Amino acid sequence: MATALLILHGLVAVALLGAITHQTLAAWTPSSAHPRSFFGRFRAVQPAGYANAIVGLYVGAALLGAIVYLYFKVDVQPNLERDRHWHALGFLDLKEDFVAIGFGLLPAYWVSWRQPFADKRDRTAAPLTTILAFIVWWGFLVGHVTNNIMGFGS
Amino acid sequence: MTSSPAFRRFALAFGTAFAFIYVMARFKGLALFTVYPSLGIVLLGMHRSRDVADPVLDFLAPELFWYGWTATAILGALVIGSIAALLPAGWSHRFWPGWVWVAPVLAMMACVYLTIPWFRQ
Repeated sequence: MATALLILHGLVAVALLGAITHQTLAAWTPSSAHPRSFFGRFRAVQPAGYANAIVGLYVGAALLGAIVYLYFKVDVQPNLERDRHWHALGFLDLKEDFVAIGFGLLPAYWVSWRQPFADKRDRTAAPLTTILAFIVWWGFLVGHVTNNIMGFGS
Repeated sequence: MTSSPAFRRFALAFGTAFAFIYVMARFKGLALFTVYPSLGIVLLGMHRSRDVADPVLDFLAPELFWYGWTATAILGALVIGSIAALLPAGWSHRFWPGWVWVAPVLAMMACVYLTIPWFRQ
């Protein structure tokens, strides 16, 4: 059960990672009408259209992570402590803090991309998206390394 | 899709307050409840296993505060966000919208500070 939930958590996180990365790049560097490069096409999306999906994926990933965390605390953390992986536990601690803070930002993030505020080029949209992108990337990388830590660097 | 100015006030106040209250809850130990996953119980308030049992037995009943801290922040931010939504529209001009992204950045920096003990072991 825990393994299935962890895999599902990872899959939702991958979708979230892609969506928020597209949106962040589009928010900061709007593309020209006919992008020619890969990077140009990558950022050539309508960023406001991603907001609903990102909120849904973020909530889904956070809830799945919150369930998996119960198994982690009982079955995995004692082993990491025994093997003195203090840095990994510290980074994971930060992940849970950052994810919670990001959760609190979701209503403001969602509103910042809604019309008519998005039409007025709401100045909070790009910074909020960037913070969420940082949190998602942090969560993904830390989660991935923690999941593989018994093989990673040992 | 549109959203009302009242909901916008709620969202901005909620995001700012959440970041602030979460850090305060983390710093002051203000968890709404404590979860003991190995025992399958939830206790109101913040309880540490080591306060009632020998620290070497801590692994038998690891406690989880994160859910409680998050619940505290949600509750507090809901109250402040609701008050902001009920305020007259003119009041929102006194609130700099940038706080909604400055506050979480500061909160994340505070969390880094609170996590330092892990890196000193």
